[in-house]
Amino acid sequence: MSDDTTGSFDQVERGPEASAEDCAKPAFQEGAAGDHPSVGLLIERFGDAIVGHEVNSGDQHVVFVDPARNTEVLAWLKEDESQRYDFLVDVTAVDYGRGQPLEVVYQLWSIPNRRALRIKCRLDLAALRIESLTSLWKSANWLEREVYDLFGIHFDNHPDLRRILMPEDYAEGHPLRKDFPLRGRFSRAEQTRRALEQNPDHQYRDDLRAIGGEPAVVTLPDELPETLAEGES
Amino acid sequence: MGLDSEAQQALQMVEAQGVGAAGGHKGGLFGGGAPTFLTTKLDFVVNWGRRNSLWPMPFGTACCAIEMMASAASNFDLARFGMERMSFSPRQADVLICAGRVPYKLAPVLRRVWDQMAQPKWCISMGACASSGGIFDTYSMVQGIDTIVPVDVYIPGCPPRPEALIYGLMMIQEKIRGESLADHHALRAEDPHTVGRPRASAEEVARVSVPFGNSTQQDQSSVLPGEAELARTENLPS
Repeated sequence: MSDDTTGSFDQVERGPEASAEDCAKPAFQEGAAGDHPSVGLLIERFGDAIVGHEVNSGDQHVVFVDPARNTEVLAWLKEDESQRYDFLVDVTAVDYGRGQPLEVVYQLWSIPNRRALRIKCRLDLAALRIESLTSLWKSANWLEREVYDLFGIHFDNHPDLRRILMPEDYAEGHPLRKDFPLRGRFSRAEQTRRALEQNPDHQYRDDLRAIGGEPAVVTLPDELPETLAEGES
Repeated sequence: MGLDSEAQQALQMVEAQGVGAAGGHKGGLFGGGAPTFLTTKLDFVVNWGRRNSLWPMPFGTACCAIEMMASAASNFDLARFGMERMSFSPRQADVLICAGRVPYKLAPVLRRVWDQMAQPKWCISMGACASSGGIFDTYSMVQGIDTIVPVDVYIPGCPPRPEALIYGLMMIQEKIRGESLADHHALRAEDPHTVGRPRASAEEVARVSVPFGNSTQQDQSSVLPGEAELARTENLPS
Protein backbone atom coordinates (compact mmCIF):
# COMPACT_ATOMS: atom_id res chain seq x y z
CA MET A 1 0.00 0.00 0.00
CA SER A 2 1.53 3.27 -1.03
CA ASP A 3 0.72 6.54 0.63
CA ASP A 4 -0.64 8.23 -2.45
CA THR A 5 -4.03 6.58 -1.90
CA THR A 6 -4.66 8.44 1.35
CA GLY A 7 -5.85 11.53 -0.46
CA SER A 8 -8.78 9.72 -2.01
CA PHE A 9 -9.77 8.20 1.34
CA ASP A 10 -9.74 11.67 2.87
CA GLN A 11 -12.41 12.55 0.38
CA VAL A 12 -14.43 9.54 1.52
CA GLU A 13 -14.01 10.55 5.16
CA ARG A 14 -15.20 14.09 4.46
CA GLY A 15 -18.31 12.76 2.88
CA PRO A 16 -20.53 14.08 0.14
CA GLU A 17 -20.38 17.76 -0.55
CA ALA A 18 -23.35 19.83 -1.49
CA SER A 19 -23.67 20.34 -5.18
CA ALA A 20 -22.17 23.60 -6.39
CA GLU A 21 -25.32 24.25 -8.32
CA ASP A 22 -28.16 25.53 -6.21
CA CYS A 23 -31.73 24.61 -6.79
CA ALA A 24 -32.50 26.61 -9.91
CA LYS A 25 -35.00 29.40 -9.58
CA PRO A 26 -37.94 28.50 -11.75
CA ALA A 27 -37.93 30.39 -15.00
CA PHE A 28 -39.39 30.03 -18.44
CA GLN A 29 -37.01 28.47 -20.92
CA GLU A 30 -36.90 30.44 -24.15
CA GLY A 31 -39.00 29.01 -26.94
CA ALA A 32 -39.29 25.50 -25.46
CA ALA A 33 -42.95 25.58 -24.47
CA GLY A 34 -44.10 24.91 -28.00
CA ASP A 35 -42.35 21.53 -28.10
CA HIS A 36 -44.87 20.03 -25.74
CA PRO A 37 -48.61 20.02 -26.50
CA SER A 38 -49.54 20.71 -22.85
CA VAL A 39 -47.13 23.38 -21.69
CA GLY A 40 -48.30 26.21 -23.90
CA LEU A 41 -51.93 25.52 -23.03
CA LEU A 42 -51.08 25.43 -19.33
CA ILE A 43 -49.39 28.82 -19.46
CA GLU A 44 -52.22 30.27 -21.47
CA ARG A 45 -54.95 28.89 -19.25
CA PHE A 46 -53.51 29.24 -15.74
CA GLY A 47 -51.35 32.33 -16.14
CA ASP A 48 -49.46 33.14 -12.95
CA ALA A 49 -50.14 29.71 -11.41
CA ILE A 50 -47.44 28.47 -13.78
CA VAL A 51 -44.21 29.88 -12.41
CA GLY A 52 -41.68 28.23 -14.69
CA HIS A 53 -40.88 25.71 -17.36
CA GLU A 54 -37.73 23.90 -18.33
CA VAL A 55 -36.67 20.99 -20.51
CA ASN A 56 -34.34 18.34 -19.14
CA SER A 57 -32.42 15.73 -21.12
CA GLY A 58 -33.79 16.82 -24.45
CA ASP A 59 -37.49 16.10 -24.14
CA GLN A 60 -38.45 15.92 -20.47
CA HIS A 61 -40.68 18.91 -19.85
CA VAL A 62 -40.91 20.19 -16.28
CA VAL A 63 -43.58 22.71 -15.33
CA PHE A 64 -43.27 24.59 -12.04
CA VAL A 65 -46.66 25.23 -10.47
CA ASP A 66 -47.69 27.46 -7.59
CA PRO A 67 -48.21 24.99 -4.71
CA ALA A 68 -51.41 26.74 -3.65
CA ARG A 69 -53.04 25.85 -6.97
CA ASN A 70 -51.69 22.35 -7.58
CA THR A 71 -55.08 20.55 -7.50
CA GLU A 72 -56.62 23.00 -9.96
CA VAL A 73 -53.83 22.55 -12.51
CA LEU A 74 -53.53 18.79 -12.10
CA ALA A 75 -57.29 18.28 -12.22
CA TRP A 76 -57.36 20.04 -15.57
CA LEU A 77 -54.46 17.95 -16.83
CA LYS A 78 -56.29 14.81 -15.82
CA GLU A 79 -59.82 15.66 -16.91
CA ASP A 80 -59.44 17.81 -20.02
CA GLU A 81 -60.15 15.96 -23.25
CA SER A 82 -57.03 17.31 -24.93
CA GLN A 83 -54.75 16.30 -22.07
CA ARG A 84 -55.98 13.08 -20.38
CA TYR A 85 -52.99 12.58 -18.05
CA ASP A 86 -54.80 9.69 -16.40
CA PHE A 87 -51.80 7.94 -14.82
CA LEU A 88 -50.04 9.45 -11.82
CA VAL A 89 -46.76 7.58 -12.11
CA ASP A 90 -45.04 8.94 -9.04
CA VAL A 91 -45.17 11.52 -6.32
CA THR A 92 -41.82 12.25 -4.75
CA ALA A 93 -39.82 15.14 -3.39
CA VAL A 94 -36.34 16.62 -3.61
CA ASP A 95 -34.37 18.27 -0.83
CA TYR A 96 -31.53 20.39 -2.17
CA GLY A 97 -30.21 21.16 1.32
CA ARG A 98 -28.84 24.44 2.67
CA GLY A 99 -32.27 25.78 3.53
CA GLN A 100 -33.51 25.79 -0.03
CA PRO A 101 -37.16 24.97 -0.74
CA LEU A 102 -38.26 21.36 -1.04
CA GLU A 103 -39.69 20.35 -4.38
CA VAL A 104 -42.69 18.07 -4.63
CA VAL A 105 -42.56 16.24 -7.94
CA TYR A 106 -45.56 14.79 -9.76
CA GLN A 107 -44.75 12.54 -12.69
CA LEU A 108 -47.68 12.20 -15.07
CA TRP A 109 -48.30 9.90 -18.00
CA SER A 110 -51.15 10.04 -20.46
CA ILE A 111 -52.04 6.54 -21.56
CA PRO A 112 -54.26 7.60 -24.52
CA ASN A 113 -51.83 10.23 -25.79
CA ARG A 114 -48.61 8.39 -24.80
CA ARG A 115 -47.17 11.57 -23.38
CA ALA A 116 -45.30 12.42 -20.18
CA LEU A 117 -45.20 15.60 -18.12
CA ARG A 118 -43.49 16.46 -14.86
CA ILE A 119 -45.01 18.98 -12.46
CA LYS A 120 -42.99 20.48 -9.62
CA CYS A 121 -44.18 22.53 -6.68
CA ARG A 122 -41.64 24.35 -4.50
CA LEU A 123 -42.38 24.52 -0.78
CA ASP A 124 -40.58 26.74 1.70
CA LEU A 125 -39.11 24.86 4.65
CA ALA A 126 -41.23 26.98 6.96
CA ALA A 127 -44.49 25.88 5.33
CA LEU A 128 -44.28 22.28 4.21
CA ARG A 129 -47.95 21.86 3.33
CA ILE A 130 -49.64 21.09 0.05
CA GLU A 131 -53.07 19.89 -1.01
CA SER A 132 -53.42 16.14 -1.43
CA LEU A 133 -54.23 14.69 -4.83
CA THR A 134 -56.07 11.66 -3.47
CA SER A 135 -59.35 13.07 -4.77
CA LEU A 136 -57.96 12.90 -8.33
CA TRP A 137 -55.81 9.76 -8.32
CA LYS A 138 -56.23 6.92 -5.83
CA SER A 139 -52.55 6.08 -6.35
CA ALA A 140 -51.62 9.38 -4.68
CA ASN A 141 -52.61 7.94 -1.31
CA TRP A 142 -49.58 5.77 -0.61
CA LEU A 143 -47.19 7.89 -2.67
CA GLU A 144 -48.03 10.94 -0.57
CA ARG A 145 -47.71 8.91 2.60
CA GLU A 146 -44.19 7.98 1.50
CA VAL A 147 -43.31 11.62 0.86
CA TYR A 148 -44.76 12.56 4.24
CA ASP A 149 -42.82 9.75 5.94
CA LEU A 150 -39.45 10.49 4.40
CA PHE A 151 -39.59 14.27 3.88
CA GLY A 152 -42.12 15.51 6.43
CA ILE A 153 -44.35 17.27 3.92
CA HIS A 154 -47.97 17.45 5.08
CA PHE A 155 -50.68 16.74 2.55
CA ASP A 156 -53.89 18.53 3.43
CA ASN A 157 -57.14 16.54 3.16
CA HIS A 158 -55.27 13.26 2.83
CA PRO A 159 -57.55 10.48 4.13
CA ASP A 160 -54.86 8.53 5.98
CA LEU A 161 -51.63 10.49 6.43
CA ARG A 162 -49.48 8.08 8.44
CA ARG A 163 -45.94 6.85 8.07
CA ILE A 164 -45.72 4.04 5.56
CA LEU A 165 -42.09 2.81 5.47
CA MET A 166 -40.71 3.75 8.86
CA PRO A 167 -42.30 2.39 12.06
CA GLU A 168 -45.35 4.40 13.09
CA ASP A 169 -43.75 5.52 16.35
CA TYR A 170 -40.48 6.51 14.65
CA ALA A 171 -39.26 9.54 16.56
CA GLU A 172 -36.05 10.47 14.78
CA GLY A 173 -37.53 12.63 12.04
CA HIS A 174 -37.78 12.31 8.30
CA PRO A 175 -34.85 10.30 6.91
CA LEU A 176 -34.51 11.67 3.39
CA ARG A 177 -34.10 15.26 4.51
CA LYS A 178 -30.60 16.57 3.97
CA ASP A 179 -30.23 17.50 7.64
CA PHE A 180 -30.89 13.92 8.73
CA PRO A 181 -27.74 12.08 9.88
CA LEU A 182 -27.06 8.90 7.94
CA ARG A 183 -27.28 6.64 10.98
CA GLY A 184 -30.25 8.36 12.54
CA ARG A 185 -30.38 10.53 15.63
CA PHE A 186 -30.47 7.90 18.37
CA SER A 187 -27.67 5.56 19.36
CA ARG A 188 -27.69 2.05 17.95
CA ALA A 189 -28.59 0.67 21.37
CA GLU A 190 -31.57 2.99 21.65
CA GLN A 191 -32.65 2.16 18.11
CA THR A 192 -32.46 -1.56 18.89
CA ARG A 193 -34.40 -1.13 22.11
CA ARG A 194 -37.12 0.89 20.44
CA ALA A 195 -37.29 -1.54 17.53
CA LEU A 196 -37.90 -4.51 19.81
CA GLU A 197 -40.52 -2.61 21.75
CA GLN A 198 -42.66 -2.31 18.65
CA ASN A 199 -45.57 -4.66 18.49
CA PRO A 200 -45.77 -5.77 14.85
CA ASP A 201 -49.43 -6.66 15.35
CA HIS A 202 -50.29 -3.01 15.70
CA GLN A 203 -49.63 -2.47 12.01
CA TYR A 204 -52.71 -4.51 11.15
CA ARG A 205 -56.38 -3.84 11.72
CA ASP A 206 -58.17 -5.92 14.34
CA ASP A 207 -60.33 -7.70 11.77
CA LEU A 208 -57.23 -8.76 9.81
CA ARG A 209 -55.61 -10.15 12.93
CA ALA A 210 -58.63 -12.07 14.16
CA ILE A 211 -58.22 -15.83 14.19
CA GLY A 212 -61.40 -17.75 13.45
CA GLY A 213 -63.53 -14.82 14.50
CA GLU A 214 -61.77 -14.52 17.86
CA PRO A 215 -59.74 -11.39 18.51
CA ALA A 216 -56.03 -12.10 18.29
CA VAL A 217 -53.92 -11.89 21.40
CA VAL A 218 -51.72 -8.83 21.01
CA THR A 219 -49.78 -8.96 24.27
CA LEU A 220 -47.80 -11.80 25.76
CA PRO A 221 -49.21 -13.09 29.05
CA ASP A 222 -47.47 -11.76 32.15
CA GLU A 223 -46.66 -15.25 33.40
CA LEU A 224 -44.88 -16.20 30.14
CA PRO A 225 -41.31 -15.99 31.52
CA GLU A 226 -42.25 -18.28 34.39
CA THR A 227 -44.04 -20.67 32.05
CA LEU A 228 -41.00 -20.83 29.79
CA ALA A 229 -38.67 -21.38 32.71
CA GLU A 230 -40.73 -23.85 34.70
CA GLY A 231 -42.82 -25.53 32.04
CA GLU A 232 -46.59 -25.59 31.89
CA SER A 233 -48.38 -26.87 34.95
CA MET B 1 -18.92 -56.81 49.92
CA GLY B 2 -17.25 -56.20 46.61
CA LEU B 3 -20.39 -56.05 44.52
CA ASP B 4 -22.29 -54.11 47.11
CA SER B 5 -19.65 -51.45 47.45
CA GLU B 6 -19.45 -51.04 43.67
CA ALA B 7 -23.19 -50.61 43.45
CA GLN B 8 -23.08 -48.15 46.32
CA GLN B 9 -20.33 -46.22 44.64
CA ALA B 10 -22.30 -46.01 41.40
CA LEU B 11 -25.39 -44.88 43.27
CA GLN B 12 -23.41 -42.23 45.05
CA MET B 13 -21.99 -41.07 41.75
CA VAL B 14 -25.43 -40.76 40.22
CA GLU B 15 -26.72 -38.94 43.27
CA ALA B 16 -23.78 -36.59 43.27
CA GLN B 17 -24.37 -35.78 39.62
CA GLY B 18 -28.07 -35.40 39.99
CA VAL B 19 -28.66 -33.58 43.23
CA GLY B 20 -25.45 -31.65 43.45
CA ALA B 21 -25.73 -30.16 39.99
CA ALA B 22 -24.74 -26.57 39.67
CA GLY B 23 -26.84 -23.81 38.21
CA GLY B 24 -30.16 -24.58 39.88
CA HIS B 25 -30.98 -27.54 37.67
CA LYS B 26 -33.76 -29.85 38.71
CA GLY B 27 -31.85 -32.99 39.72
CA GLY B 28 -31.92 -36.08 37.54
CA LEU B 29 -29.35 -38.15 35.77
CA PHE B 30 -28.23 -35.48 33.35
CA GLY B 31 -28.02 -32.54 35.70
CA GLY B 32 -24.28 -32.03 35.40
CA GLY B 33 -21.00 -33.33 36.68
CA ALA B 34 -18.61 -35.63 34.88
CA PRO B 35 -20.04 -37.54 31.92
CA THR B 36 -20.73 -41.19 32.55
CA PHE B 37 -21.04 -44.13 30.19
CA LEU B 38 -24.81 -43.74 30.25
CA THR B 39 -24.88 -40.02 29.46
CA THR B 40 -22.23 -40.12 26.74
CA LYS B 41 -24.02 -42.92 24.88
CA LEU B 42 -27.35 -41.18 25.26
CA ASP B 43 -25.74 -37.92 24.11
CA PHE B 44 -24.46 -39.70 21.04
CA VAL B 45 -27.86 -41.08 20.10
CA VAL B 46 -29.73 -37.84 20.77
CA ASN B 47 -27.16 -35.70 18.96
CA TRP B 48 -27.13 -38.13 16.04
CA GLY B 49 -30.86 -37.67 15.72
CA ARG B 50 -30.76 -33.93 16.12
CA ARG B 51 -27.95 -33.18 13.74
CA ASN B 52 -29.31 -35.34 10.96
CA SER B 53 -32.81 -33.90 10.95
CA LEU B 54 -32.24 -30.17 11.22
CA TRP B 55 -35.24 -28.44 9.77
CA PRO B 56 -34.42 -24.89 8.76
CA MET B 57 -36.73 -21.97 9.36
CA PRO B 58 -35.96 -19.72 6.36
CA PHE B 59 -36.06 -16.05 7.25
CA GLY B 60 -35.09 -14.70 3.85
CA THR B 61 -35.25 -10.96 3.31
CA ALA B 62 -32.89 -10.26 0.42
CA CYS B 63 -30.55 -11.70 -2.20
CA CYS B 64 -29.11 -14.20 0.31
CA ALA B 65 -32.52 -15.87 0.24
CA ILE B 66 -32.08 -16.55 -3.47
CA GLU B 67 -28.91 -18.49 -2.69
CA MET B 68 -30.75 -20.23 0.13
CA MET B 69 -33.44 -21.32 -2.31
CA ALA B 70 -30.74 -22.56 -4.67
CA SER B 71 -29.28 -24.56 -1.78
CA ALA B 72 -32.59 -26.32 -1.32
CA ALA B 73 -33.05 -27.00 -5.03
CA SER B 74 -31.82 -30.04 -6.90
CA ASN B 75 -28.29 -28.89 -7.77
CA PHE B 76 -27.20 -28.53 -4.17
CA ASP B 77 -30.01 -30.37 -2.39
CA LEU B 78 -29.91 -29.56 1.31
CA ALA B 79 -32.01 -32.65 1.95
CA ARG B 80 -28.85 -34.75 1.58
CA PHE B 81 -27.74 -33.35 4.93
CA GLY B 82 -30.99 -33.96 6.76
CA MET B 83 -32.41 -30.50 6.19
CA GLU B 84 -35.29 -32.39 4.78
CA ARG B 85 -37.59 -29.48 4.20
CA MET B 86 -37.80 -25.78 4.85
CA SER B 87 -40.14 -25.38 7.78
CA PHE B 88 -42.16 -22.25 7.22
CA SER B 89 -43.63 -22.57 10.67
CA PRO B 90 -41.23 -21.69 13.50
CA ARG B 91 -42.90 -24.25 15.78
CA GLN B 92 -41.56 -27.14 13.70
CA ALA B 93 -38.12 -25.69 12.97
CA ASP B 94 -34.73 -26.36 14.51
CA VAL B 95 -32.42 -23.86 12.88
CA LEU B 96 -33.22 -20.27 11.97
CA ILE B 97 -31.47 -19.16 8.80
CA CYS B 98 -31.57 -15.39 8.69
CA ALA B 99 -30.68 -14.64 5.08
CA GLY B 100 -30.49 -10.98 4.19
CA ARG B 101 -30.67 -7.56 5.72
CA VAL B 102 -32.96 -6.94 8.65
CA PRO B 103 -34.35 -3.44 9.10
CA TYR B 104 -35.33 -2.23 12.56
CA LYS B 105 -38.98 -2.50 11.57
CA LEU B 106 -38.49 -6.23 11.03
CA ALA B 107 -36.47 -6.76 14.23
CA PRO B 108 -39.46 -7.58 16.46
CA VAL B 109 -40.70 -10.06 13.85
CA LEU B 110 -37.34 -11.84 13.77
CA ARG B 111 -37.26 -11.88 17.55
CA ARG B 112 -40.79 -13.30 17.69
CA VAL B 113 -40.00 -16.03 15.16
CA TRP B 114 -36.97 -17.00 17.25
CA ASP B 115 -39.01 -16.98 20.46
CA GLN B 116 -41.62 -19.20 18.84
CA MET B 117 -39.11 -21.87 17.89
CA ALA B 118 -38.96 -24.80 20.30
CA GLN B 119 -35.78 -25.78 22.10
CA PRO B 120 -33.29 -27.02 21.11
CA LYS B 121 -32.74 -24.41 18.39
CA TRP B 122 -29.84 -22.94 16.52
CA CYS B 123 -29.38 -19.82 14.46
CA ILE B 124 -27.39 -19.10 11.31
CA SER B 125 -26.65 -15.57 10.25
CA MET B 126 -26.24 -15.83 6.48
CA GLY B 127 -24.35 -13.14 4.64
CA ALA B 128 -22.71 -9.84 5.43
CA CYS B 129 -25.90 -7.88 6.11
CA ALA B 130 -27.37 -10.28 8.64
CA SER B 131 -24.01 -10.66 10.36
CA SER B 132 -22.96 -7.03 10.54
CA GLY B 133 -25.34 -4.78 8.66
CA GLY B 134 -23.02 -5.04 5.67
CA ILE B 135 -22.88 -1.98 3.50
CA PHE B 136 -26.13 -0.73 5.02
CA ASP B 137 -24.63 1.24 7.87
CA THR B 138 -27.73 3.43 7.94
CA TYR B 139 -30.56 4.67 10.13
CA SER B 140 -32.90 1.82 9.28
CA MET B 141 -30.76 -1.29 9.46
CA VAL B 142 -29.99 -3.67 12.31
CA GLN B 143 -26.20 -3.84 12.63
CA GLY B 144 -25.94 -7.59 13.00
CA ILE B 145 -28.81 -9.83 14.06
CA ASP B 146 -26.76 -11.01 17.03
CA THR B 147 -28.04 -7.92 18.81
CA ILE B 148 -31.54 -9.43 18.47
CA VAL B 149 -31.08 -13.20 18.66
CA PRO B 150 -28.13 -15.43 19.66
CA VAL B 151 -26.22 -16.62 16.59
CA ASP B 152 -24.33 -19.91 16.32
CA VAL B 153 -22.78 -19.67 12.87
CA TYR B 154 -21.96 -16.61 10.79
CA ILE B 155 -21.63 -17.19 7.05
CA PRO B 156 -19.58 -14.54 5.25
CA GLY B 157 -20.31 -13.54 1.69
CA CYS B 158 -22.41 -11.10 -0.26
CA PRO B 159 -24.30 -13.29 -0.87
CA PRO B 160 -22.64 -16.55 0.16
CA ARG B 161 -22.77 -19.34 -2.39
CA PRO B 162 -24.94 -22.38 -1.62
CA GLU B 163 -21.78 -24.31 -0.75
CA ALA B 164 -21.10 -21.78 1.99
CA LEU B 165 -24.58 -22.19 3.42
CA ILE B 166 -24.23 -25.96 3.35
CA TYR B 167 -20.85 -25.66 5.05
CA GLY B 168 -22.45 -23.45 7.71
CA LEU B 169 -25.15 -26.03 8.31
CA MET B 170 -22.50 -28.72 8.56
CA MET B 171 -20.75 -26.59 11.17
CA ILE B 172 -24.02 -26.56 13.13
CA GLN B 173 -24.00 -30.34 12.83
CA GLU B 174 -20.45 -30.41 14.17
CA LYS B 175 -21.50 -28.18 17.03
CA ILE B 176 -24.38 -30.51 17.90
CA ARG B 177 -22.00 -33.47 17.80
CA GLY B 178 -20.02 -31.89 20.62
CA GLU B 179 -23.02 -30.99 22.77
CA SER B 180 -24.07 -32.91 25.83
CA LEU B 181 -27.45 -33.21 27.47
CA ALA B 182 -25.70 -32.50 30.73
CA ASP B 183 -24.87 -28.93 29.78
CA HIS B 184 -27.46 -28.47 27.09
CA HIS B 185 -29.65 -26.33 29.27
CA ALA B 186 -26.78 -24.01 30.00
CA LEU B 187 -25.72 -23.95 26.35
CA ARG B 188 -29.02 -23.29 24.63
CA ALA B 189 -31.65 -21.92 26.95
CA GLU B 190 -31.95 -18.19 27.15
CA ASP B 191 -33.07 -16.27 30.15
CA PRO B 192 -36.85 -16.31 29.70
CA HIS B 193 -37.00 -12.71 30.81
CA THR B 194 -35.20 -11.68 27.63
CA VAL B 195 -38.03 -12.92 25.44
CA GLY B 196 -38.92 -10.08 23.12
CA ARG B 197 -36.10 -7.90 24.42
CA PRO B 198 -32.69 -7.08 22.93
CA ARG B 199 -30.21 -9.87 23.48
CA ALA B 200 -27.27 -7.53 23.65
CA SER B 201 -26.75 -4.85 26.24
CA ALA B 202 -26.58 -1.20 25.24
CA GLU B 203 -22.80 -1.16 25.59
CA GLU B 204 -22.47 -4.23 23.43
CA VAL B 205 -24.64 -2.78 20.70
CA ALA B 206 -22.60 0.40 20.76
CA ARG B 207 -19.42 -1.62 20.52
CA VAL B 208 -20.44 -3.82 17.61
CA SER B 209 -21.92 -0.98 15.60
CA VAL B 210 -18.74 1.01 15.30
CA PRO B 211 -18.63 2.83 11.97
CA PHE B 212 -16.58 1.22 9.26
CA GLY B 213 -15.00 4.50 8.30
CA ASN B 214 -16.76 5.17 5.03
CA SER B 215 -19.94 6.36 6.60
CA THR B 216 -19.95 10.07 6.94
CA GLN B 217 -21.67 13.00 8.54
CA GLN B 218 -22.04 11.33 11.89
CA ASP B 219 -22.91 13.11 15.06
CA GLN B 220 -23.41 10.21 17.44
CA SER B 221 -21.39 7.41 19.01
CA SER B 222 -18.74 7.61 16.35
CA VAL B 223 -15.53 6.01 17.55
CA LEU B 224 -12.41 5.48 15.50
CA PRO B 225 -12.19 1.81 14.61
CA GLY B 226 -8.78 1.55 16.26
CA GLU B 227 -10.12 2.70 19.63
CA ALA B 228 -13.07 0.38 19.76
CA GLU B 229 -13.13 -2.87 21.60
CA LEU B 230 -14.34 -5.42 19.09
CA ALA B 231 -14.78 -8.46 21.33
CA ARG B 232 -18.30 -9.75 21.69
CA THR B 233 -19.33 -11.10 25.05
CA GLU B 234 -21.39 -14.14 25.88
CA ASN B 235 -23.31 -12.31 28.56
CA LEU B 236 -27.00 -11.87 28.37
CA PRO B 237 -28.37 -8.52 29.43
CA SER B 238 -29.20 -8.36 33.09
